[in-house]
Amino acid sequence: MMLFEPRTWLFVLLAAPMAAAVLSLIPNGTASRAAARAGGIVAFGAATALLVLQAHGEWGGVLGLDSLSDVFLFTVSAIYATSVWYSSAYLRHVHNSYLSPQVYYALMGAFALAMLASLVVVDLGLMWIGIEATTVASALLIVLERKPSSVEAAWRYTLIASAGLTIALFALLLLYVSTGTLNAFALAASPPAPTLLVQMAVALALVGYGTKVGLFPMHSWLPDAHSEAPSPVSALFSGVLLPTALYAFLRVYRVLATPVPADLSDLALAFGLLTALVAAFLLQRQRTFKRMFAYSSMEVMGLAVVGISLGGVALYGVLILLVSHAFAKSAAFYCSGNVLRGTGTTRIDAVHDLRHRMPWTSGAWVLAAPAVTGAPPFGTFVGELLIVVGAVAVGEDWVAVLVVIAVLLAFLGVNAQVGGMVFGATEDSVAAVGEGAESGISIAYLNVAVALVLGVVSLPYLTPALRAATVLLGGHAP
Amino acid sequence: MDPSVDVVPLLGVGILLTALYLQSESFVDPLVSGIALQSALIAVLLGWLAWTEHDLDFAVIAVLAVGIRVFLIPYVLRRQIRAFRWRARELRASSRVTGHVLAAVTVAVIAWFVFQQALAPSFPELGGALPFVLLVQGLLMLATRSNTIVQVTGYLEEENAIVYAGALFAHGFPLFIEVVIFLDVLGVVLVGVILSIQRDVTGTPEERPLEELTG
Repeated sequence: MMLFEPRTWLFVLLAAPMAAAVLSLIPNGTASRAAARAGGIVAFGAATALLVLQAHGEWGGVLGLDSLSDVFLFTVSAIYATSVWYSSAYLRHVHNSYLSPQVYYALMGAFALAMLASLVVVDLGLMWIGIEATTVASALLIVLERKPSSVEAAWRYTLIASAGLTIALFALLLLYVSTGTLNAFALAASPPAPTLLVQMAVALALVGYGTKVGLFPMHSWLPDAHSEAPSPVSALFSGVLLPTALYAFLRVYRVLATPVPADLSDLALAFGLLTALVAAFLLQRQRTFKRMFAYSSMEVMGLAVVGISLGGVALYGVLILLVSHAFAKSAAFYCSGNVLRGTGTTRIDAVHDLRHRMPWTSGAWVLAAPAVTGAPPFGTFVGELLIVVGAVAVGEDWVAVLVVIAVLLAFLGVNAQVGGMVFGATEDSVAAVGEGAESGISIAYLNVAVALVLGVVSLPYLTPALRAATVLLGGHAP
Repeated sequence: MDPSVDVVPLLGVGILLTALYLQSESFVDPLVSGIALQSALIAVLLGWLAWTEHDLDFAVIAVLAVGIRVFLIPYVLRRQIRAFRWRARELRASSRVTGHVLAAVTVAVIAWFVFQQALAPSFPELGGALPFVLLVQGLLMLATRSNTIVQVTGYLEEENAIVYAGALFAHGFPLFIEVVIFLDVLGVVLVGVILSIQRDVTGTPEERPLEELTG
């Protein structure tokens, strides 16, 4: 039966955003939007089918699936689908746009295709091309609103991310010289000896892909791009682009047999801790809420890299954290889009009393803010808790303490600011802003609900896939 | 005597000299000419290797280098500054040329030393450190310059470094042509699209401090 053939769903998964990108260019707004939405839903359906089928293997030396790619495909396709859906609500209020809605949807499809393709290829060179393609496709989305700051952000993003990816490519050259292959599955099955050359390649991959992940000090593009991009694109950036880049690094990191040489795990630990702490401090002093959420994403990526360096049960925490964060952060950005539309500003000090002006958006925002900062009972809490437990389990108590400090700082910073905007009273009388079905707020509630469910119950297919992916990475689930 | 023993290092020295020249230049038009010259030297190196090693991939990449990085991208960059071509100068860099050159030489020596210490045993080829030094020089251009056209030359220098490294010590690297094409596409997107939008919206190729992007 074709329906049970993984290659069929793999084809559908890649064909859907590709077709959406092409069909979105139809010069009819309704048809273009419908094509984009259909592409998102079909891609999500195909990723879900692959998760259910659990059919793993390699096809033609080019495509391949395992539990790790299943988990990431599910997450990326879900956030792509919801972001495209929310886009129509957002675009309705964008004036003086640099891109027509048709071109916007086409670029969204191309962006999603590049991410999904990066996750299903087994050749690290092709994976690099996919990650670089995400830069090409998404850079133009940032300039949608035609502001000097948007253009500057797009420029910095393209240049810094590309510079980082050039270093990653240099890493792949070294890896190839050392091993004679770039097949990620083959390298993981029979890891090469950790020679100086291989270790240098992995270290350079950490710096190179780390630039795209937003690791300190290569992170400077991240707050600019996230804050200046349209909110649905910010949701894709924070929720799934950063994890996709991290996935590419994980594939290189996995080349090393466990236990990973101490020099390299220490290097990753240093990058991760510094990133989490710097981001947690910086987000306290942000003046715009989108920039604050961008630093929150950077903090989460730092924690994820800490978990990767620790191994063991922390790896399971990393995967739960990434999946839950994707849903929660996308919801936070959808709410941010609505607040921007309703108030005309992203300045934190200019937004007050949202609970009366935009009650539905406020409700979703006060749920999404704790969800992105690791509050119980959301999935992010489980993930961050397991990273702390993982640190203690390997005797690195000081790492656990620093992780807790970063988490608490981020939690207090984000929730205090969001609380101030939602509950803070103003002396001026402010009119309520319409929040009908066209506001897209139901999508934010849906994604927050998924982040919540991930924290409280084991989901069929997804939870087993998370456990299997953890084992694949050399860790273990609790 | 194998002539490639002389030709490859000789071209390598030329490529390194162009990198140091780029660091010292603050006028935009000579910078564009400099990166075109560096790309041409890379193309000659690739052409030489294609001929001596009968490798078609190198020939294809050499043709791509000439078409895109020697002619197309410099042409588009010059169009960006055509109205004031002979006086277009990076504002902040002009007063710091000596510092840039000193930094470039220092960084080049450090990169060479690091390569010799860490990687030289794996790369016995003469001049194996040069692509690594070139990569670091490109990163330095990106980090220290504020003019977007100059930053593009830094990006192109990085691309040249990757091609140089691939040609020198990663023979048989899969997808080499595809990777180079992709880097070129990104270069064209950078100069052809984003720079044009920037000119339309801000009217200047100089980066400016923007309140929205602080913090």
